[in-house]
Amino acid sequence: MGSIFATGLAAGLLGLPLVGSGANALLGQYLNPATGRRVVAWIGPGVVLLSFVAAVMVLLGVVGTSSTDHATTIELWRWLDLGSHGLRVNVSVTFDPLSALMLMVITGVGFLIHWYSVGYMEHDATPHRFFAYMNLFIFSMVLLVLAANLVILIVGWALVALSSYLLIGYWYERPAAVLAARKAFVTQVIGDLGLVIAAFMILTRLRSPSLDLLQIFTGARESFGYGTLYLTGICTLLAIGAFAKSAQFPLHTWLPDAMEGPTPVSALIHAATMVTAGVYLIARFHPLFDLAPVAQGMVAAVGMGTAFMAGYIALSQIDIKRVIAYSTMSQIGLMTFAVGIGAYTAGMFHFATHALFKALLFLAAGNVIHALHEEQDIRAMGGLAIRMRWTNACFLVGSFALAGIPIFAGWFSKEEILGLAWLRGPMAPLLWFAGVGVNVLTGLYAFRLYFAVFHGEPATARCLAAREARPVMLVPVMVLAAGSLVGGLVMLPGIPGIAGRNLIDEFLTPVVVSFGGHVLSEATVATAASTLAAGTLLSLLGVGLAYRWCYLRRPDAATVASRLPRLLTQLSLHKFYFDEVYDAILVRPWRFLANALKRVVEPRVMDGWVGGLTNFFGEVSLDFRFLQTGLVRDYASMTLGAAGLFVLVMVVWIAR
Amino acid sequence: MLETEPVLPLMLALSAAMFSIGALGVLVRRNPLVLFMCIELMLNSVNLAFVTFGRFLDSEEGQVFAFMVIVVAAAEVVVGLALITQIFQTGRELDVDELSEMKE
Repeated sequence: MGSIFATGLAAGLLGLPLVGSGANALLGQYLNPATGRRVVAWIGPGVVLLSFVAAVMVLLGVVGTSSTDHATTIELWRWLDLGSHGLRVNVSVTFDPLSALMLMVITGVGFLIHWYSVGYMEHDATPHRFFAYMNLFIFSMVLLVLAANLVILIVGWALVALSSYLLIGYWYERPAAVLAARKAFVTQVIGDLGLVIAAFMILTRLRSPSLDLLQIFTGARESFGYGTLYLTGICTLLAIGAFAKSAQFPLHTWLPDAMEGPTPVSALIHAATMVTAGVYLIARFHPLFDLAPVAQGMVAAVGMGTAFMAGYIALSQIDIKRVIAYSTMSQIGLMTFAVGIGAYTAGMFHFATHALFKALLFLAAGNVIHALHEEQDIRAMGGLAIRMRWTNACFLVGSFALAGIPIFAGWFSKEEILGLAWLRGPMAPLLWFAGVGVNVLTGLYAFRLYFAVFHGEPATARCLAAREARPVMLVPVMVLAAGSLVGGLVMLPGIPGIAGRNLIDEFLTPVVVSFGGHVLSEATVATAASTLAAGTLLSLLGVGLAYRWCYLRRPDAATVASRLPRLLTQLSLHKFYFDEVYDAILVRPWRFLANALKRVVEPRVMDGWVGGLTNFFGEVSLDFRFLQTGLVRDYASMTLGAAGLFVLVMVVWIAR
Repeated sequence: MLETEPVLPLMLALSAAMFSIGALGVLVRRNPLVLFMCIELMLNSVNLAFVTFGRFLDSEEGQVFAFMVIVVAAAEVVVGLALITQIFQTGRELDVDELSEMKE
C-alpha cells in the first residue's frame, strides 16, 4: 500500500465515525425532532458504511501484498515525548491481516446493526444521543484494533469501555440499567488496571523509549526470556485485561446485566465486537504468550471453564437476551481457549463467524421483543413461527450456526478449535472432552430457546397479535443470516482430508503463526477427521435432546436443567452464585466498614475536636465576618486580586 | 529545542487566554457545574503552560507537574461532584449564590 493512500484510509476509518458521533451529538438536538430524526438516521449508519468501504480497501491492500511486506505502519503524529531518554509515544496505526479481519467485522456487522437500529430506535426520544454513542463506539473499536502502539491500544481499550458504559445505561431512567452500566464499567476498570500495569512492566524491561508493538515483539525474547516469572506476570496481567473485556471467569458477571441496554447495543458491543477484544488482545500479543507457557495454560483453562459454566447457566435462564448473553460468554470462552492453546487463527476465525451468527441471533431476538412490546420472558412467548416467518427462518439459521450443525458457519470454526484441542497439548483429551461437553450444552440451550420462542402454544395474547418486523429491521437480519449460512465455506478446503489448505490460516500467517507453523501429517489427518465426526455427532445430540425435551413433550421449557439433581439445577438457576459471593466478600465488608466508621469513629473520635476547633475559630473570627459575604464570586475575586498583586510585586521587584 | 521557540509565545498566550476565560467564568457564573468546568479550564491552562515550558527547556519536569495537576484535579472533581449531587438530592436549586448558609 502506498503510504499516502494508507494514511488516507486510516484518517477515514478513524475520522468518519468520530465526525459522525460529533455531528449526531451536536445536530440532533438543534434540528426539529422530525428532521433531526431523519438526518441522524442517515449520518449514523452512513459513516459506518463509508468506514466499511475503507475497510474493504484495507483488506484488498493487505491481500495484495507479499508476505514479507504484510504490515503497513503509519505514524499520524507524535503524541508524547518525554525528552531524550524518556517515553516516546506516536499515534500510529497498523494495517495487517489481523487488523483487516477485525475491521471487516467491526464496520461490516457494525453497519448492519446501525441500519437495524434506525428501525429499532424509531420510537425513542433521543435517537441523536443513541447514534452519537454508537458511532463513538465504532471509532473506539477501530482505534483499538489499528493501534500500533501499546499506549494507543490502551486508549482505544478504555474508550470502548466508556461507550459500552454509555450504551448500557442509555435508558438512564431505569435504575437497573444504571446499575448494570456501573457494574460493567467497574469490571472494565479492573481489566484496564491489569493492562496498564503490564504496560509498565514491559516498559521497565524493554530498554526502549517507545511502546510500539513491533518493538515489544521483536525484542521479546532478549528482554523477557523464555518462561520467566516476569514474563508470566506480564502475560497474566494482559490476560486479566482480556478476561474483564471478554467476560471470562472470574470477571464475567457484568455481561448478563449489560443486557439492560437496547438490543442493537447487545448485538454490536456485547456479542459481536467489544467482548471479543480480549481474544484479539491475546492473539495480538502472541509473541509474548508463546514465550510464557504457564500463562497460556491458564488462559486455556479459564476459557474452557468459562465456556462450560456459561453454557450450563444458559440452560435455565428465562430472559431471551440473557440466554444469548450466556451463550456469547460460552462461545468467547471457546475463543479464549483457542488462543490459550496457541491456535490463534482458529480463535480469530471463530470470532468472525461468531460475530455473524450472534449478531443475527440478537437482532432476531430484538424483532421478537419489538413484536411482543418489550416482552423478554421466554415463558410468555411461543408459537411465533407462523406469525413471524422470516424472523423465524433467520433465528433458526443462527441457532444452527451456534449449535455447530454442518455447513453452517459455526460448525467450521468450532470444530476446528476442538480438532486442534485434541492434537495439541499435554492435557489434550481432557480439554477435548470438556469441549464436546460444551457442544452438547450449546445444542441444548440454543434449541430450547428456539422451541420455546417460536413453537408450542402462544402463551399470551400478545403472541397471537405478533406481526412480522418491517423491512428496515428484517433486511440486516437476512444479510447476517446469509453470512452465517455461507461464511464458513471459506474454511471448506481446510477440512482434514479435502485439500489441506486452510485459507484463514494462510491469510493470517504473516501476523500470527499458530503452533510455530506445524503441518498436519497423514496420521493426524485421520485423528482430526474422527474428532470432527465425534464433535459433530455430539452437537447433534444436544439439538436432539432439546427437540425431545422441549418440542415433542414440551414440559416447562424453562427448566431443562431441572432433570438434573437438585443441587446442579440450583447452580444453573442462580448462575453459580457469583453475584451473591461477590456481594458477600466485596460489597458487604466495605459497607460494614463504612457503617462502623460512621457509627463509631465519626461521632466519638472526629466530632469532638473538630467541633471545638470550629467554636474556637468562630469566637476569634467575629471581627472579620463582614468579609464573608457568602458569594463565591467575591472570594474568587479576592483570590485573583491577591494573586495579581503578588505577580505585580514580583515583576516590579525583579525588573528593578 | 530551537524549532519550538516561535511557538512558545503562542502557546503561552493560549494558556493565558484559557486562564482568563476560566477566571471570568468563575466570577460571573452561578451554576456550580459550570464553575467546575471553568476551574478545570484554569487548571488545564496551567498544565499547558507547564508542558510548554517543559518542552522549551527540554525537561520532563513540566509534564510531570502537569500529571500532578491532573491527579489533583481529578480528586477535586470527585469531591465537588459528590457535593453537587448531594445538594441536588435535597431538591434545591443549583446556584452558588443561594448556597450561602455557611456565612451565618
